Amino acid sequence: MADKSRGLSPAVYKETFLAGLWRKNPVFRLLLGMCPTLAVTAAVKPALTMGLCVIFVLLCSNIIVSLMRNLLKPHLRILMFTLTIATFVTIADLFLKAFVPDMSETLGPYVPLIIVNCIIICRAEACASKNGLVVSFIDAVGMGLGFTMTLCVLAGVRELLATGKIFEQAVMPAAFVPWAAMSMPVGAFITLGLLLGLVNIVTRKQT
Amino acid sequence: MSKIKHFFQQSWLLIVASFCFGLLIAVTNAAWSERIEQNEREKLFSLMRGLVGDANDFEIALEEAQIPAKKGRVIKTDIYRAIDKGGKGVGFAYVSIGSGFADKIKLVIAVDSKCEKFFGFKVLASNETPGFGSKIKEDYFSSQFKDAPAGKLELVKTGDDEKIDSEIVAISGATVSSEAVVEIINNSIIHIRSKLQEKGLVTNGR
Repeated sequence: MADKSRGLSPAVYKETFLAGLWRKNPVFRLLLGMCPTLAVTAAVKPALTMGLCVIFVLLCSNIIVSLMRNLLKPHLRILMFTLTIATFVTIADLFLKAFVPDMSETLGPYVPLIIVNCIIICRAEACASKNGLVVSFIDAVGMGLGFTMTLCVLAGVRELLATGKIFEQAVMPAAFVPWAAMSMPVGAFITLGLLLGLVNIVTRKQT
Repeated sequence: MSKIKHFFQQSWLLIVASFCFGLLIAVTNAAWSERIEQNEREKLFSLMRGLVGDANDFEIALEEAQIPAKKGRVIKTDIYRAIDKGGKGVGFAYVSIGSGFADKIKLVIAVDSKCEKFFGFKVLASNETPGFGSKIKEDYFSSQFKDAPAGKLELVKTGDDEKIDSEIVAISGATVSSEAVVEIINNSIIHIRSKLQEKGLVTNGR
């Protein structure tokens, strides 16, 4: 079994982990996973739950795909990825329904829709199917955290402006007039657009 | 024979993985399904309690009552009898389902013990458009159904939404969702009443 991660230095692991957080951030840099990014970021709690679900599914799928990478037939690999992802998404969905039913209801169809989240299938194809267990694991943690943080930043801005609260705790002065539009789809598009612009300015300055 | 061999050579991993993943889901489902059903039951009972204020408990009055739906389909639903602290029946509640704008809408509907007026409805599940169709959950729309006559309701685009009668004023920008709610209620109440009358549970129903 050829393992590309064998003999890799800690610097490579660190680079793989940090890539998901900033340089290859799935939302801000790769523009992947836009559906949940726009749909579940009206408040921080659902955004965080969605992020944690994606971390779980990404971790499990990357581990499984990495373990069976040498057995995959090229023409059946996407089918195998989808099968793996669908399994863990179903488990995540059942977990939410059993232990956090209110949140499961808030997230609605967006939890089952993680199956078609391109971040997960992208990492299975680009990383897990070509690398060993350690690299795939670190990549999943980095990408998952990057995605979750992005969702939380977006949701934080939207929740603050739409309700004057963060994590359902009032933080704005009583005189603050909530911007109702921020909790609607238009608020998601505007906030995402502005944050993407900001990230582009920062990255241009860095280069 | 060689074709079969080739098939298994190519797809054995898929077959094995499907079996293993299927087993994993089945085990997880078996472990949590009771809890999920319990959560759903608790939610249903809390919604029914919210609708029938005097209710102390609910018992199944009629199991799997059949409501004819569109395209020849049949909705099977349990009809619950609301009982007050003295053990007296104060109303009935049931779940009905119909097509909304984006997805199915599942409602809990409650009527009084004579099946003459509605106690109202609550949304058990829906995926209507946020900010528009999702307003079917809001009080200003659902309060129009409270104490409305338990007969055929009519959806109107303009009118007095505070007046309690058989006219329901649609939500602006969400006519399809409003229509869906009225249709679900209209379609179910006639059949529910006749089922209750057949069983002698309602005598004074119209």
